[in-house]
Amino acid sequence: MRTIVCMLVAVAALTAGYPQAAHGQVRAKAAVTCVSAGQVLEYDCTIRLANARSGEPLSGLTVSVGADMPSMPGMHNVRAVKATEQAEKGAYKVRLELEMHGDWAVQIDLRGAVRDRVISMLRFEEADVTDVKPSSGRRGH
Amino acid sequence: MDDYLVSVLSNIGVISFVALSAYLLLLTGEISFGQQAFFAIGAYAAGMATAMWGWPLALGIAWGAAVGAACAVSLGIPTLRLRGLQFSIATLAFAEMVRILFELFRYQVDIDGEPVGPNGTDGFRSIRYIFDHNIETFDFMMLIYTMLAVTLAGFMLLERSRLGVIFRMIGEDATLASLQGIAVARYKVLAAGIAGALAAVGGGLYAHLTTYVEPRTFDVMLGVHSLAYGLIGGLGTALGPLLGVVIDVGLLESVRLFAGYRMIIFGGLVALLLIFRPRGLLDERLVNRIGRLFRNAISGSTRTGRGSR
Repeated sequence: MRTIVCMLVAVAALTAGYPQAAHGQVRAKAAVTCVSAGQVLEYDCTIRLANARSGEPLSGLTVSVGADMPSMPGMHNVRAVKATEQAEKGAYKVRLELEMHGDWAVQIDLRGAVRDRVISMLRFEEADVTDVKPSSGRRGH
Repeated sequence: MDDYLVSVLSNIGVISFVALSAYLLLLTGEISFGQQAFFAIGAYAAGMATAMWGWPLALGIAWGAAVGAACAVSLGIPTLRLRGLQFSIATLAFAEMVRILFELFRYQVDIDGEPVGPNGTDGFRSIRYIFDHNIETFDFMMLIYTMLAVTLAGFMLLERSRLGVIFRMIGEDATLASLQGIAVARYKVLAAGIAGALAAVGGGLYAHLTTYVEPRTFDVMLGVHSLAYGLIGGLGTALGPLLGVVIDVGLLESVRLFAGYRMIIFGGLVALLLIFRPRGLLDERLVNRIGRLFRNAISGSTRTGRGSR
């Protein structure tokens, strides 16, 4: 029992050092559209980033895009790829190479003036890519 | 450090908690297919605490662990009377029940003009503690590994303690342990509570690492894997399940050659090990042999030191 108490105290002490809330930071939202790139399991995605509150496009950021399969946490983790900024304000392009068809959580990490992560749930199929809507008979792998 | 490596290592770290949770129950002789339920409970509870109620991370994770432990004890009291397959099926049924409850669970609050909180099958997004507090992913990975190191140290102490011996005794033969005067049911419930708390800590860390969770993240696949990690890595030491996680998430993940086929390879690996090494790679015999070699080496060097004086 003493061991368990020591463990819990140590864990609490370790995490207690983290800073307190800093609300009011810029939060981003993303509209993601993907199309097949012609190769199997390769998709070209356009990401339009905007300030979640004001709706203003977010430009000049370093954007990296990865993907994870929600149905198996940590198991299908696609290496993040850097997106290239387009002439259109707030638009970024990236090519994703996935492991298989199905529902993927596309993780968009922003660095620079805004640091945030936006998640977009998409269903990647051979011909097209659609948004995953709640209760739409989701498929994993 | 490369972002991808940080991501893979962080995943190994968080999944290790649920693997250790299943391992602890395996020590007491119980096969649980439901540890993902406590992982889910910890993820939702800790996420709600930090993202919706503005609690600090430490409190959020501790809250998640407490809720996970309480649920595990509540499940353990009626189900630990069951034996073998019946217990396993009961844990699986509980985990599916929890997953379906989270599919129905909707509770959101408005934060900075944005609804935040669990939203049924759409999951729980915007658990952005690490982004709101400018915590780098590398620093968060270090936090995960510090907590994992503390947990492992706890396991090492546990295995050398009377409690650890009792757990293994119950795992070997519950009837014999009971004849020795051990309150088997009470110790099994205690193990279930600790295992629930461990899985919930992993869930809390996972929710903050990925910033989102959804019910299907916690389906039976995670439960089967967490159990398989102990069986692959070995039941002789708490390092066994970690070895299992490293083999699956680390090796199979990082070698692109296996991409898309890893589940087939993983299943084959489990089948082969169950045939040739039923107690896993680091089984009790190997751990004892390594321990003996280690002790001999130490005593040999001490004798040599004395002789030369």
